[in-house]
Amino acid sequence: MRMARLARLELSEEEIELYLRDLNGFLASGRKLQQVDVGGLAGTSHALTVGTVLRPDQVGESLPQAAVLAEGPEVMDGYFKVPRIVEGQE
Amino acid sequence: MNYDIVIGLEIHVALLTESKFLCSCSTAFGAAPNTQCCPVCLGLPGSLPMVNEKAVEYAVKAGLALNCQVHHFSRFDRKNYFYPDLPKAYQITQDTYPLCTDGYLEYYIDDQLHRTAITRLHLEEEAGKLIHSGGSIVDSEYSLVDYNRAGIPLIEIVTAPDITSPRQARLFLEQLRLLMLYIGVSDVKMEEGSLRCDANISLKPQGSAVLGTKVEVKNLNSFRALERALEYEAERQRIVLEQGGKIRQESRTWDERSGRTASMRSKADAPDYRYFPEPDLPPLRLDPAWVERIKASLPERPLERLRRLEKEFGLSRYEATFLVNYPDFGQLFLELAVAGGDNRALINLLMGEYAGLAREFGHLEPERLTELLAIVDEGLITHSQSKAVLEELFRSPLSPRQIVKEKGWEVLRDVEQLREAIQGVLAGHPDLLDRYRAGEERLFGFFVGQVMRAVQGKADPKVVNQLLKEELNRLV
Repeated sequence: MRMARLARLELSEEEIELYLRDLNGFLASGRKLQQVDVGGLAGTSHALTVGTVLRPDQVGESLPQAAVLAEGPEVMDGYFKVPRIVEGQE
Repeated sequence: MNYDIVIGLEIHVALLTESKFLCSCSTAFGAAPNTQCCPVCLGLPGSLPMVNEKAVEYAVKAGLALNCQVHHFSRFDRKNYFYPDLPKAYQITQDTYPLCTDGYLEYYIDDQLHRTAITRLHLEEEAGKLIHSGGSIVDSEYSLVDYNRAGIPLIEIVTAPDITSPRQARLFLEQLRLLMLYIGVSDVKMEEGSLRCDANISLKPQGSAVLGTKVEVKNLNSFRALERALEYEAERQRIVLEQGGKIRQESRTWDERSGRTASMRSKADAPDYRYFPEPDLPPLRLDPAWVERIKASLPERPLERLRRLEKEFGLSRYEATFLVNYPDFGQLFLELAVAGGDNRALINLLMGEYAGLAREFGHLEPERLTELLAIVDEGLITHSQSKAVLEELFRSPLSPRQIVKEKGWEVLRDVEQLREAIQGVLAGHPDLLDRYRAGEERLFGFFVGQVMRAVQGKADPKVVNQLLKEELNRLV
């Protein structure tokens, strides 16, 4: 439930049932993986062995303001307008 | 009971790149809202970030300037949270493998060298800017969001809890700002948000090795706010502890108007960021030779300059500190000064009348200042006249020599004319002359003043002294 809240997902009772089963499956697979002896192997957080790819510091084109704001449910004077921000709900 | 104050700072510095950290949108300040945004910095699906080389170079530069270990392997992570200023709902930052660790900054406070350890320095992206409809976030009906700022490269610098007073915290931050300015990686303007600081503060019984519960203080928008907020917070915590209470681990926000900190959220409400390695960016592997080249190109740092000014130019700590803290004055001094030579007149000029005028009207061309010092040295004008010439230099495009000529301010060198002036003054004050004869020697100064007045200050006081002495000896 906490994960659903953190990810801002609204789940029905049936969905909770379904995902609970799925997640437990994932955890079981994870536990199995943890039994593999990886001593002597280097850690991998990325599947690719690509080296660092850097970009020169050059200004390119941005989107027109109208295109940027097109995705906003509510806009005002060139800004996105968002409802009152309340902290500490997580 | 007496308590020791323990402070650690977390500083964000916006890097002075032309384009953003992970996309090519402009970083220019002050554009119309949401005009410097693209699919990458808006977090639109399918977009892929790419790291700006300059941002990495600047972060490495900052790390080296802070005596850090620069890691040839570092990695980006996602920090997940929901907030309207964060379009992707995660910030790309460095968590487990930061770019730099284990550095320090050394700086003087009241003639004593202090060292504050830097725990880590890492790269991350800036969030967007929120404008609240009300006076503050709590009494706002709605907020407006501008994503022009979202994605500008930042470095976060974290100090060890080494700082022992609110004043030291402010002085440290001022020195850190100066360092960033010297190495040219940021314009470090607190008022524009390109330098920001949060502080952690706790108290512990004097001499105790056990740290107390810390409180995070946010919303520190100026050097003064940092010092005041920490003073307030130290006192608040002391009172709680003295009354037998416990400090709650929490985040508090500084309110400039009331001069207090107020609770924002407790530790229990602290967000769970669920960091994980950023899948869209490969780890950052730096070529050690590239890092070495950056190290070799590092300009002089404030502390190095301070020591050079003292050693090579014979300045006092006070004078050298002035030139270091105002780099524009320092630059001017270094352009005009002679290493190992006599730079008294120059430093006195820069720190004296010139400082006030330059702050108001901007700096003068170095050549005109050199000429001003030269004509005083040559004896073309007196020291006191040089002040009038200096003021004129800020108003007129003429050179010092031209000004002196135009205004007829050359020193009066005609000895006969001076002698006449002296005789005139003495003849005009027979009573005072009698008193001088009777032994009232302090009247000598009065006579000098009168003679200078008679010649509109254009005489060299040394010559006047000499001639006056001769005249008086003749008369006495």
